Amino acid sequence: MPTIALKRKQWEPFAFASPSLFLIALVIVFPLVYAFYLSLRDFDLSVGPGHQFVGLRNYTEALFGDRRFMESVWNTIVIIIPSLAAELLLGLGIALLLNRVIKGRPIITALLAIPAMVSPVMAAMAWRMLFGVKYGAINNLGRQVGILDVYFDWFSTPLLSIVTIVLVEVWHNTPFMMLVLLAGLQSIPQELYESARVDGASPWQGFWSITLPLLKFTMAVGIMIRMIDLTKLFGLIFVLTYGGPGGATETVAFTTYLVGFNDFRMSYASALSYLIVGGVLVLTLAFMWVQRYREARAA
Amino acid sequence: MAIALEQTRAASGRVKRYRMRRVAGHVLTYLGIAVALVFFLGPFFWIVTTSLKANNDYFAFPPVWIPDQPSLAHYVRLFTNASGFRYFTNSLVISTLSMAAAIIVSLPTAYAIARWRFGGGVLSTLLLVLRMLPAIALIIPLYIMYKALGLTNSYLGLVLVYTVVYIPFAVWLLIGFLREFPVEIEEAALIDGCSRLRALITVVMPVIAPGLAVVALFAFIATWNEFLFAVVLTGIETKTMMVLVTSFTSGGTDMFYGEASASVVLGVLPAFAVAFALQRYLVKGLALGGTKG
Repeated sequence: MPTIALKRKQWEPFAFASPSLFLIALVIVFPLVYAFYLSLRDFDLSVGPGHQFVGLRNYTEALFGDRRFMESVWNTIVIIIPSLAAELLLGLGIALLLNRVIKGRPIITALLAIPAMVSPVMAAMAWRMLFGVKYGAINNLGRQVGILDVYFDWFSTPLLSIVTIVLVEVWHNTPFMMLVLLAGLQSIPQELYESARVDGASPWQGFWSITLPLLKFTMAVGIMIRMIDLTKLFGLIFVLTYGGPGGATETVAFTTYLVGFNDFRMSYASALSYLIVGGVLVLTLAFMWVQRYREARAA
Repeated sequence: MAIALEQTRAASGRVKRYRMRRVAGHVLTYLGIAVALVFFLGPFFWIVTTSLKANNDYFAFPPVWIPDQPSLAHYVRLFTNASGFRYFTNSLVISTLSMAAAIIVSLPTAYAIARWRFGGGVLSTLLLVLRMLPAIALIIPLYIMYKALGLTNSYLGLVLVYTVVYIPFAVWLLIGFLREFPVEIEEAALIDGCSRLRALITVVMPVIAPGLAVVALFAFIATWNEFLFAVVLTGIETKTMMVLVTSFTSGGTDMFYGEASASVVLGVLPAFAVAFALQRYLVKGLALGGTKG
């Protein structure tokens, strides 16, 4: 097959890519380097504009001497684990149901996907109003049914606040898990189920020995993506609890925000953000490893 | 003869049972879907009806679920008193500009990667890592830089951040669309003496226009939804809808339900539009972080 060799100018690929590379260098790489520089100094806007080199002091303080940050790590984990479990189970359940729907699947899927398209801030605001004392829909519905008082405060204790946050997070992002798993389900060849049925397998057996094994990696990818995004949980907290009561729902991203923009400890906040980046980087590498493993298996 | 009859009778019983099971299965399936729809869409329904209620409906017991005399009074008040119009326009302008800029910058980059494998695996890995990068790591140095340069409280500052932050996402999606594009058409244009850039604009772009629209809509909704950069880098004139809506939380438990719900409705409107417009691409776009702020 004769193809005409086109003259290739060496500079062309670089010229095409350079605008975005330049912008990435300017707005992402340079600030990251600057933040690292700051994290080694003691820049505190509430003290003054001057700052000097302090080495790794900010990092050692965060890792060994800062209960607030350690508690925020713990809070983040406490929110992530039940959220992931619920999102996976609910998402799988709904995806399995959708997979059986014959009429109107696209429209139902699009409707169910809407929460995932909404901003965390908007989702949180809607739910904050739903949970509202006196005028909230949930308390009023509870009063109508006779199980709740209108003055029930859904954010009164640390445990209840976390439960409420997890509920909102599950509402917000289960649709994402559902979409990912539905795509995975639809890529499973239907013949597998037919031959299993011919061999006398029950639908239940089919689920355990065909669906789950073939869906394993899709699930892993979905969980990884959600986990990485959950380490950045911020908007939901900002609106629902603002970290309260008593810092019990401060996530790592939210604590860093408060340290930076409430206490104005810019250097320390930079160090905290680098610790978060480190955590996310580990998770990202794990994610890429899972994907590579999956591609190797598929090939 | 009798045995054969017996067999068909047994078979028809099996068929009947099988059919009943199937009908029951369908009923349960749709029941489950209905429950899911109520859970996931119920909050939106309540927010919309709340935004249309009259003020004394909020105090009523039994609660008013659907107002008998829906009114747009809260929207009017939001637009006149709470500077809602200004912030809604800000959101529209910032999202539109960032969307356009992200596409203009990302398309040639995606082309360089798709056609020339520019940067090898390094560049695409870098883009994936950048997509995972938490915004909190950027906001502190950006805030200090912007303060020094006088870029806080400006459209330019926010549009610049948004454009760059969504480059990785846009490039990833565009590479996919470009790979589907038949190279032969492009080569024909190049042989006719077209430059690469002209071929990209006049030959490739019209064909991948649907793909560009997908990326554009995702970029639009992503910038529309973004909160952290917006809350730190905007000032009184440049606030977006996302920042406006959080201002209602300061009212404590007696916050302004009317205006707050109206602003939530306006804030989620684009999400509804995009969810329907992009049905086929939702998985891909969401997985790549198309809507995350």
